[in-house]
Amino acid sequence: MEEWKPSPAVKPHKKRSWYLAWKYKLMNQRALRKLCQTGAVLFLLVTVIVNIKLILDTRRAAYEEEEESAQDYDDEMLNVEVPRHPVNNKKVLDVEVYSSRSKVYVAVDGTTVLEDEAREQGRGIHVIVLNQATGHVMAKRVFDTYSPHEDEAMVLFLNMVARGRILIFTIKDEGSFHLKDTAKSVLKSLGSQVAPFLSWRDMWTFVGKKGGEVYGEKHAKSPALSTWGDPVLLKTEVHLTSVEDAECHWPDTELNRRRKRFCSKVEGYGSVCSCKDPTPIEFNPDPLKDNKVFDVPVAVIAGNRPNYLYRMLRSLLSAQGVNPQMITVFIDGYYEEPMDVVELFGLSGIQHTPISIKNARVSQHYKASLTATFNLFPDAKFAVVLEEDLDISIDFFSFLSQSIHLLEEDESLYCISAWNDQGYEHTAEDPSLLYRVETMPGLGWVLRKSLYKDELEPKWPTPEKLWDWDMWMRMPEQRKGRECIIPDISRSYHFGIVGLNMNGYFHEAYFKKHKFNTVPNVQLKNVESLRKDAYETEIHRLLGEAEVLDHSKNPCEDSFVPDTEGKVYVMFIRMEQEADFTTWTQLAKCLHIWDLDVRGNHKGLWRLFRKKNHFLVVGVPASPYSSKKPSSVTPIYMEPPAKEEGAVAVPAVAAAEQT
Amino acid sequence: MQKINRNAVLALLSLASLVFLLFQLCYYKFYLSQKNGSAFSKIRGSQSGQDSTRWHVVRKFLGLISSHNIPVYLIDPLILGLVDKDIEQIRSSPDGPSPECKYFCAPRDFTTFALLDKTWKHEVGLFRTAEKMGFQWLKIINKDPRLDGMDDLSGMEIPLHYIFKLASHAIHLVVFYERSGNYLWHGPLRLKQHMDRKFVPFRKLHFGRYPGAYEKPELLHVSIDDLKVQIPKNPSNFLEEMSHSRFLECRYREARAFFQLYPDDASLDAVEFRIKAKSLLHLAALTLNNLGIKFWLSSGTCLGWYRQCNVIPHSKDVDLGIFIRDYKAEIIPAFQKAGLPLKHKFGKVEDSLELSFQGEEDVKLDIFFFYEEEDHMWNGGTQAKSGKKFKYFFPKFTLCWTEFVELKVHVPCETLQYVEANYGPDWKVPVKVWDWKSSPSNVQDNGVWPVDEWDDVIQIY
Repeated sequence: MEEWKPSPAVKPHKKRSWYLAWKYKLMNQRALRKLCQTGAVLFLLVTVIVNIKLILDTRRAAYEEEEESAQDYDDEMLNVEVPRHPVNNKKVLDVEVYSSRSKVYVAVDGTTVLEDEAREQGRGIHVIVLNQATGHVMAKRVFDTYSPHEDEAMVLFLNMVARGRILIFTIKDEGSFHLKDTAKSVLKSLGSQVAPFLSWRDMWTFVGKKGGEVYGEKHAKSPALSTWGDPVLLKTEVHLTSVEDAECHWPDTELNRRRKRFCSKVEGYGSVCSCKDPTPIEFNPDPLKDNKVFDVPVAVIAGNRPNYLYRMLRSLLSAQGVNPQMITVFIDGYYEEPMDVVELFGLSGIQHTPISIKNARVSQHYKASLTATFNLFPDAKFAVVLEEDLDISIDFFSFLSQSIHLLEEDESLYCISAWNDQGYEHTAEDPSLLYRVETMPGLGWVLRKSLYKDELEPKWPTPEKLWDWDMWMRMPEQRKGRECIIPDISRSYHFGIVGLNMNGYFHEAYFKKHKFNTVPNVQLKNVESLRKDAYETEIHRLLGEAEVLDHSKNPCEDSFVPDTEGKVYVMFIRMEQEADFTTWTQLAKCLHIWDLDVRGNHKGLWRLFRKKNHFLVVGVPASPYSSKKPSSVTPIYMEPPAKEEGAVAVPAVAAAEQT
Repeated sequence: MQKINRNAVLALLSLASLVFLLFQLCYYKFYLSQKNGSAFSKIRGSQSGQDSTRWHVVRKFLGLISSHNIPVYLIDPLILGLVDKDIEQIRSSPDGPSPECKYFCAPRDFTTFALLDKTWKHEVGLFRTAEKMGFQWLKIINKDPRLDGMDDLSGMEIPLHYIFKLASHAIHLVVFYERSGNYLWHGPLRLKQHMDRKFVPFRKLHFGRYPGAYEKPELLHVSIDDLKVQIPKNPSNFLEEMSHSRFLECRYREARAFFQLYPDDASLDAVEFRIKAKSLLHLAALTLNNLGIKFWLSSGTCLGWYRQCNVIPHSKDVDLGIFIRDYKAEIIPAFQKAGLPLKHKFGKVEDSLELSFQGEEDVKLDIFFFYEEEDHMWNGGTQAKSGKKFKYFFPKFTLCWTEFVELKVHVPCETLQYVEANYGPDWKVPVKVWDWKSSPSNVQDNGVWPVDEWDDVIQIY
């Protein structure tokens, strides 16, 4: 039985004999087997754990490295990016335009882009240009077409606006009195039905695309001469186009990228944004040989007159020997458009938070700009100071390059200026001639760093003193008897009509007829004779050679100077002491030159041209040159006009004008 | 049943370990590719010994910048260190071919070059060419410190660092700016939020942790490892300069806040004192620099810099500190030669030395000599009439560069501790009445000079 019993078990035993054989073999060494098994399990477990740990370690190490690598270098100031307006995918703009006697406004998609309800201001036609793809305001203008010639300016502006732009018009108060037919037909060509019939005190609003559809127009006729038309409110929708359609397809260059950026933001700069034939924004004027001012920084002082700045920078960058890298434009205030202009030309610009008001604001802006200029160019010994309403002569840098060594070597010099206060069309003649004058003309001048750093900067008028920087610089405490070098024919031209101390009448009277050099590469004459002592020798030589004019004649008459050319004449006027300018002022008045204060004098001597003759005026007996007066000649005395009060008040006011 | 389970467990574990092994391999592979091998450069370096990638990248970079006419110079401290050892040989054969790649083949993550800002025009073209050549580049811009001191001016941000990366090597281009005070400045490297923190291991950069100030270097054209580069003419000087080049910007914002609280003295006297103090400081700096003596702004002048970024108009003098170990006997004759006669001399080199020179009109230049102890520094004071000695304690400090009245000068890096030691926690409040014997919060009586030494330790002229 015992033998048989295991038989059922034998069968499987046989079947799995390979396995069992192995098993039993191991079973025989049970302890060893157990040990191996446990060992294997343990080993596997450890491997797994080690693996996991390794992975974790690697990950942490990598993470830490990232963290550490950056943490020392994190910008401490958290530059939280201002969330930008999400790109407006809306294809339609809601436009509201309001026109009335005392108020106009324009709202685009609920945002007011124009609102003018100021009294006695903003009369005429307001024009707004929108980008047809983005709806951004690209230009805002008001043309007082009640007054003459403003309609011409409007036509000029409308012609400059690119095709496809959206134009919005609205009238405040009155806009038709001097709206001539040309202007009316331009408005008609834009699609206006009403424009040709606009009349006295009508109210009018119009929205249209240049060279395209009309989005709406509303008009209210004035019922009678003494009343205004009813206010009109135009609500309309404008369909936006795609960005591609709104842009020109200029070749992709660095310059054209700047151009594209500029042209998509602003309007009213004419052919610079023309698709077909854009005007260049890089000028590459001829370099100057042996340019002594190539490394002199140029500070352009600007406010919010971007069109002026545009014109100014064009002329500056066209001047021979200009070095764009040295130019910095200082903008007084956070204005966008002037900065756009600066970027268009690839120059660097700095904005200045306005401090104080009016003249003091300008003065503080000057100080900040000059200090910054010398900070940015610590190597510079000089700085050229320009303003945004100046045209710069083609030989501006050549003029400076030839004369700057004087400023370095002659301590009796205060500045070199490109502007001759007395250099009018009829009183300036010789582009190669320089003068020394006791006044500081400004309007394009060179400042010595040592003068600024050691004398002017520490004492500069503080913001609460409402002083003009230039008047302050002209004060004897600052000038200390030093002189400026100026050319006979100015190397800058003051074209600004709108300004702090400026208006149309004033400009017409004192600046429009100023002579401006347009000849390139003028070789200056006898520069060394401008040094302090040499200049005296030169003046004595001139006076020695000069013909004394007939003092019995009226100096205001043309016949006072003979009809000759190229001669030197001298006249003597009465000047009791150094500050007696009574006769000079009257003479300046009748010669139609600068008479608001005394400019251009050197030791009681004035030099100008009359009828192409050099014309010297000596004040006797205050001037040291009085000795040249023949004893037979009585100095001319001209009486100031009777009304004393006015005569005193005017120069005081006007003295501040020329900034 | 139990046995089968056990086997299953065994199989499962083997499988798991295999999976983990695979996973580990994959992970390393991923890590390697992401880091461009930089994290493992050591391993690779020891395997290959040389890294021609670096040489090739540098060569490409030099080609790139020379094609745009941008003059850069090598400031990599590790390479300059090697170059310095062979400087004579390199100088003597500036164009000779080199038999082996000695300098540019040591495997490193970076090679550092410098660029003078005013020598190039910021053309965009450079970066386009760089991209075409396969470089990835990063530009680090920040505020222009030259406008920082100016109220209310906001200029464009200026580039401070560029990094050009190709394969596993990166070129770090540090932009140097000229600043008032006739020195070169480079900015700190700070990443803005949106920047790629993993672009390169920034921590290993040699420049950028702090801003730095340097003298304008003289450059030398050399050819090393067959690459034509410019290097500072005297590499060891440059390396020495680099080791303590840290620059502190004046705290303009705090200074503005200070002037809001205590409006600046705009009187003519104040203006004139500032002009005089400035010219005296310029003269003193010139004299001491010529002697090669390191000095720093101390006491009132240091407070003026730290608190208001300007000379304190009601202080009567200019104060400088010098470590006594830098003392040279030539100081007194040098100042006299410069037109500053000795006014008094207190103490002696071994103890409490203090010199005072008479500047223009009544502005005085005080030089305090600092003695270094185990855990503090001190300088001494002497009262002339009584022979009393005083001791002023300061915590230990190191020196940093700064710009003050258009001058590159040293100040203690730990300025706050220095100023607080001297003026107490209320240093922010201007005090017009100040007694040097009792007002400072770090003063201590230090006995009396023995009478027989008085002739030596109290000299008044």
